[in-house]
Amino acid sequence: MKTRLPDHGPVEAPRFWRTLEERVETPEARQAAHDEFLPGAVPAYDDVHGLPPQSGVSRRDFLGLVSAAAALAATVGCDRKGQGTVVPYTKRPVEVTPGVANYYASAFQEGRRVYPVLVKTREGRPIHLTGNDEHPGVRGKTSPRAMADVLRLYDPDRLRAPKAEGRTLGWTEAEARLHGALQAAKATGKPVLLLSGAVASPTRKALLADLKAALPTLEHLAYEPAAGDAAEEAARASYGQSVAIQPRLAKAKVILSLGADFLNGEDPETLAAWGAQRRLKSAKEPINRLWVLEGPLTLTGTNADHRYPVAPSRLAALAFALARELAAKGLPLPAGTDLSALAAGFSEGVDVPAKAWANLVKDLRHAGRNAVVLCGAQMPAAAHQAAHLLNAMLGSEAVALSPAEPLATTKDVEAAVQGMAAGRYAAAIFWDVNPAYTYARAAAWKDALAKVPLRAWVGLMEDETAAQCQLLFPENHWLESWGDYSTPSATVLQQPTVGTLYDTRQGEDLLLGMLKALGAAPAADYHTYLRARWEKAVLQGGTFEQALHDGLVKGDPKTASPVFKGTSVAAAAGRTVKGSEGLELVLFPGFAPHDGRHANNSWLQETPDPISKMTWDNPVAVSVQDAQALGIQEGDFVTLSLEGTTLRLPAVIQPGQAKGVLALALGYGRTTGGVAKGVGANAYPFLGLDPTTANVRPGARLTKAGGRKELSRTQSHHRMEGRDIVRSLTMDEFLHHPQGHHHQPELVTLYEEQKFPDHKWGMVIDLAACVGCSACVVACQSENNVPVVGAEQVAKGREMHWIRIDRYYEGELENPKVVHQPMLCQHCDSAPCENVCPVNATNHSPDGLNQMAYNRCVGTRYCANNCPYKVRRFNFLEYTAYKTEPETLAYNPEVTVRPRGVMEKCSFCVQRINDVKIRAKGEGRSILDGEVTTACMAGCPSDAIVFGDLKDPKSRIAQLVTATRAYKVLEEVGAKPAITYLADLKNPVEGGHHAN
Amino acid sequence: MADADRKPLLDRAAALLAGPFLLGRQALSLVFPSDLETPSEVPALALQRISVTPPEHAIKRRG
Repeated sequence: MKTRLPDHGPVEAPRFWRTLEERVETPEARQAAHDEFLPGAVPAYDDVHGLPPQSGVSRRDFLGLVSAAAALAATVGCDRKGQGTVVPYTKRPVEVTPGVANYYASAFQEGRRVYPVLVKTREGRPIHLTGNDEHPGVRGKTSPRAMADVLRLYDPDRLRAPKAEGRTLGWTEAEARLHGALQAAKATGKPVLLLSGAVASPTRKALLADLKAALPTLEHLAYEPAAGDAAEEAARASYGQSVAIQPRLAKAKVILSLGADFLNGEDPETLAAWGAQRRLKSAKEPINRLWVLEGPLTLTGTNADHRYPVAPSRLAALAFALARELAAKGLPLPAGTDLSALAAGFSEGVDVPAKAWANLVKDLRHAGRNAVVLCGAQMPAAAHQAAHLLNAMLGSEAVALSPAEPLATTKDVEAAVQGMAAGRYAAAIFWDVNPAYTYARAAAWKDALAKVPLRAWVGLMEDETAAQCQLLFPENHWLESWGDYSTPSATVLQQPTVGTLYDTRQGEDLLLGMLKALGAAPAADYHTYLRARWEKAVLQGGTFEQALHDGLVKGDPKTASPVFKGTSVAAAAGRTVKGSEGLELVLFPGFAPHDGRHANNSWLQETPDPISKMTWDNPVAVSVQDAQALGIQEGDFVTLSLEGTTLRLPAVIQPGQAKGVLALALGYGRTTGGVAKGVGANAYPFLGLDPTTANVRPGARLTKAGGRKELSRTQSHHRMEGRDIVRSLTMDEFLHHPQGHHHQPELVTLYEEQKFPDHKWGMVIDLAACVGCSACVVACQSENNVPVVGAEQVAKGREMHWIRIDRYYEGELENPKVVHQPMLCQHCDSAPCENVCPVNATNHSPDGLNQMAYNRCVGTRYCANNCPYKVRRFNFLEYTAYKTEPETLAYNPEVTVRPRGVMEKCSFCVQRINDVKIRAKGEGRSILDGEVTTACMAGCPSDAIVFGDLKDPKSRIAQLVTATRAYKVLEEVGAKPAITYLADLKNPVEGGHHAN
Repeated sequence: MADADRKPLLDRAAALLAGPFLLGRQALSLVFPSDLETPSEVPALALQRISVTPPEHAIKRRG
């Protein structure tokens, strides 16, 4: 659908809107809202039943076909299709009891971040991840990408044996070649380059030190292309070392974000603290206030109480001006701070209205050490340094600083490239990194690498870098590996949860092999090495077995907090405002692929981006004003050019994005991988070589390229025709009019009231705590075998997610407020879908579940038509039957895999309910409150979702449903949904609490 | 009206014969499977069963 932006004047618009079409109320939007499904979603008769629409088959022909087919169908019916054989184990592994899940504690690393997890296995197969509930920081929560990474274990593209020059060979031969090269390098004194991901593991660090001792010419670089070079550069400038910055939001009353997306789902600890502050029972409870200054709209921006679109290049100037103003009002500047260079180039009131600016200064000053300033990893280094200064001035207790292992910046990698080009290195080893794809100057990289005599690659799936190497070593997935990690509150263990599926080894074992070849006498394998180190350095009285059981050893490593150097400010303040022509391009890690490592994960590719709701693509996001000026419409192909690099890609118009700013996700446009190949465009060539502003690039140009792309975007699917679906209150409204103008409808029914003899399952979703991170979507997909349908099907509105996050805008196009609302089957007591099913495939259970009998469903889709919440999903095509091992190993055996022609939807994780019921019955007790957790509830890092028994008056849910913010969606329909929503809360200066 | 909408005789005859023929052939092939070879479009690698083994030295939390 093409959407023209309004040319002039204000329009009479709905209060909440999800798409530009809805906002400007085009005739197409009205028609789309009126229509039940998107064009193409429902075939006229056809690709489901095999007959073309208007086929012209007459009744006589049809009857002839039917009678002939019926006779033969009887013959076919005699056969037992899909027959399989179930056999018992001849030798059952002691750990495995068929039908009973095992849980192992382990850990997952992504960049510098570590996720302690609990892994559920069935019959030896890891199938589902949650956070480790023993870890004091994450407390049972994790990130969407960590949960989805179980699928990577079963990726059919995994390399299954070592390769050399494209030929499969054995480990002995492959290692001999590598060892020979290393021994020669040691003898000649030529350097060897080892490029790996971030080192967050103390034992891996010790092993690397051992290797360095055995091979003194080893040059190791820890390279994370999406970590943000600017943050690293700024930390070195402000503190003289690499620093990990961890928000402590539990202590924060006022939060100022300078393009920091700390609510994007990556940090469960921060999300938990955020949720805890926002789940209010009464308007008199304390609540924090979030101010956001940012260019592209982020998830954090959507949860702000006050948000102002600001170009990232101006953030540093604003933040330093804030520091100057706070200093003028009495906050002490750290010794040596000189802000005089700032005077030129900054004028107040340009980016933030004067009144809001005064309120922000007042808020920060009053909150003092309970205020915190956070800066986005991709923002310019000067903005980071300004945030460091502000936190030092405020004496902020809401942020924890700790020394971190240094990361290589673009500058370091560039130096390595020059070394390779000069023939400096005897060998290069790439371990879990893909610089051939992530390095900005790909051609220069390729030429330089070709000059290294031996190029070895260690990884999971053959990627762009593997294609340029001679020796390929297949690596274990982390669920098959040993390891450990340091986190602020515990040292975490990683243990294998399954034996290796293929002839692979973990990278550390390869390093141990190198050590041996270089004349050292290391441990036999990494498990032995790790255990020995733990028994010597980590375990204090406890046993290794207990640590494996818990997955960690608690303890706060005592490290001196880095001290801010005031003298670093003068230089940073001097490079704040740079005038430049053209647009400002912001490059950020994609929600699904991150830096590209998850690009082959179809669960993530199909999870809608929390802001743009795009799947399977990375269009360039353009502000509303720029789109108007350039005449760009949604989906138009545009040409993006910057310093000689040009890319043709589709555009999306992003409300709330700062004027003059373009946003483009990294991690797409891969050239390898069955799923990843060809999805989106590679934005890495736009990355800058100056590490202080690598991700913010001024001077970009955008022109219409002609043509248009049908975007696989879900935000316009499942419309609700402007009904009262989502509610958002200010704190004042919460105090005085929690139900606003909404009135409780009097419901009259002809049906007999349904009785629930034992339980009545229900759910409460707190919109104030929900940040829209999509962790619930991924958790549900993993738990319930939700199929992936691909970009083309998503574009037709045929995505299969049982839970979706509706993102509503409110207010002006240029800077709307945003509310996120998870929407799933409401398990209505008087369910409209049940009444219309001709075969009773969907019906009501005695404990209030709206359940599906898949083998009874004949696919009429009447239920989907009659569902007021648009939460039923139909298998239009065969999405699962052709899957083979290893993909099928990821299935949860407790949940039926649905075939073509069958309707499906959220089941409230009935398999989990029954599991608890059976366990409670076996133990002769009743079900405890909180014992049943749905996958979405368990996955929600901000605890916005609560599931429980409404019949138990003491249960948490029974109390929540009586809250003053409580309402049910479309209550007036009379469907009696079992899900209660608590209205969203905003805490603006006017209409909110005072921050202190 | 029906006559105007009807397809040519040949099309109708083909539809009448081909449908039952294809269904019949499918039915017979299910009852009397003659060819157990791997369909050519399925890669041989995909048919290899993967052996799932428990992890060595790991300690489970519960189960």
